[in-house]
Amino acid sequence: MPPTPFQPSPISQLRALLAVTRKNWIIFLRYPNWLVVFIIWPVLFPLGYIFTAKALGGPEGGAVGNFSALSGTSDYLSYIVIGSTFYMWLNLTLWDVGFQLRQEQLRGTLESNWLAPVPRLSLLVGGSLLSLGTSLFFLAVTAVGFRLFFGVNLVSENVGLLLLILALSVGSIYGIGFAFASLVLRFREANALVFLVRGVFMIFCGVTYPLEVLPGWMQSVASVLPLTYAIGAIRAVTLHGAGFADIAPKLIRLAVFAAVLPVLGVAAFYLMERRARHTGSLGHF
Amino acid sequence: MRGNSPQRTLRSQLRAVLAIAKKDALHFLRYPLSAAFQVLQPIIWLTPVYFMGRSFAGAGGSGGFAAYAGTGDYMSFIIVGAVLSSYDSAVLWGMGYALKTEMDAGTLESNWLTPVPRPLFLVGQTLASLALTTLTSAGVVALGWLLFGFRVTGDVFLAALVTLPLLVALYGFGFAFAGLVLLLKEANTLVDVSSFALPLLSGAQFPVQVLPPLLLPLSLALPLTYGYDAVRGLLLGTKTLVPIAYEVGILLVFMGLMGVLGYTVFKRVERRCQRLGTIGMH
Repeated sequence: MPPTPFQPSPISQLRALLAVTRKNWIIFLRYPNWLVVFIIWPVLFPLGYIFTAKALGGPEGGAVGNFSALSGTSDYLSYIVIGSTFYMWLNLTLWDVGFQLRQEQLRGTLESNWLAPVPRLSLLVGGSLLSLGTSLFFLAVTAVGFRLFFGVNLVSENVGLLLLILALSVGSIYGIGFAFASLVLRFREANALVFLVRGVFMIFCGVTYPLEVLPGWMQSVASVLPLTYAIGAIRAVTLHGAGFADIAPKLIRLAVFAAVLPVLGVAAFYLMERRARHTGSLGHF
Repeated sequence: MRGNSPQRTLRSQLRAVLAIAKKDALHFLRYPLSAAFQVLQPIIWLTPVYFMGRSFAGAGGSGGFAAYAGTGDYMSFIIVGAVLSSYDSAVLWGMGYALKTEMDAGTLESNWLTPVPRPLFLVGQTLASLALTTLTSAGVVALGWLLFGFRVTGDVFLAALVTLPLLVALYGFGFAFAGLVLLLKEANTLVDVSSFALPLLSGAQFPVQVLPPLLLPLSLALPLTYGYDAVRGLLLGTKTLVPIAYEVGILLVFMGLMGVLGYTVFKRVERRCQRLGTIGMH
């Protein structure tokens, strides 16, 4: 009598998901550099833009009025910190989620893990769970760091609205991360792709400047990127005290992105999986 | 009977350095997407600064920036900084990161058993990246001219001459840094943070006068600050921190100091790793 094939149950699938998360957690703790990533980077990264803005503003801040006329605020420090924090969140996700399958490939463990009787998606989602946890920690450190060192208050009175924007952004950012992971496996190259994707968001989403300075065609590109709305909504709530009704159009767009992008990300993953099976290229690097 | 140990000649060492550079160049070209992207990457960093400058500019141009730097042409100011900082990255990446790559690939121990002096390995690993940086910098300057109106008015040859002691000082940093990678077994974060923080503190993107009082002394203690400042003074006619001749003198002192210090640190760490047998670990 042939042996009964292994039937994965929801519990066994959940166990696999948590096992992947645990494995990533152990690797994460093994390299204490995360301390630097999460404590130094949030404050260090925006400084380049902040000091450049200070230089552009002039010794007496005479040119800040031009910035204020376009952005609606003379507080360029908070303006830049909000944009760059979202950018860094995306950057972290691209590295953590996008690079994790590629890392398995480089270590030579991807093929053997692929043969395990668990849904392959759990390899991707398991790593994303850890990434989400660490990203939330990163956001908290950024808020505390800028409060302490620069007196910038990134948390407005309307905490509920901020959390809603963050929750909707999670879907968009991780959807991009899933699709990105598949792209990295397809091209077997992570660095250049991370630079390219994050560069597109950096240029088009108004991370450090108001979108009004962009030419028309660039503003059109900005309007189809989720980060544009996430950054715009957070700036409106934090810097201008906007309420739910004021940012409702942005929230609706963010909600659509949050619903569509994860589905597209998972679809890209299955496409990549099918291609890898046809070409036998999963173990190549 | 003992076998004859290979005789190291200048020629054999040069061949070894070129072999390492060739290996790195082949490895680099193996990933064409990455190669093509080396030119685009600085443009991706420069574009947001360009638009940020526009958001601060009034009808009369970038008067605020000119009051600090002595020139309103902030894009040329920043492009010169970007090109110089790509050289400093090439040395740091070339040494520290290449060491980590060899560790991960498991080839460091076997390569280090060959009769090639280890510091020569590190120098060899920077040659390909320096050649590549020169090529990509030419691309960045051409794109900068096309997209952002980059132009220089000063003596390019003299400016290139000033970068030589700067480069030697960077090699000193690179040796010390490679020693640190050998100890910590981790390079990504170290390279990322240092190759970001060094140009930041040295004013690659802005005149260092805007730095807060706490960071300004740190900036003035770095040779890169004087290198960037002198090169900009020569190329763009910007206001310099001290007369350019003094800045060159400072660079020469740093060159001697960092060269010796970095090399000594690396040799000591290497000896320690040999004693503990940890070179192949990662």
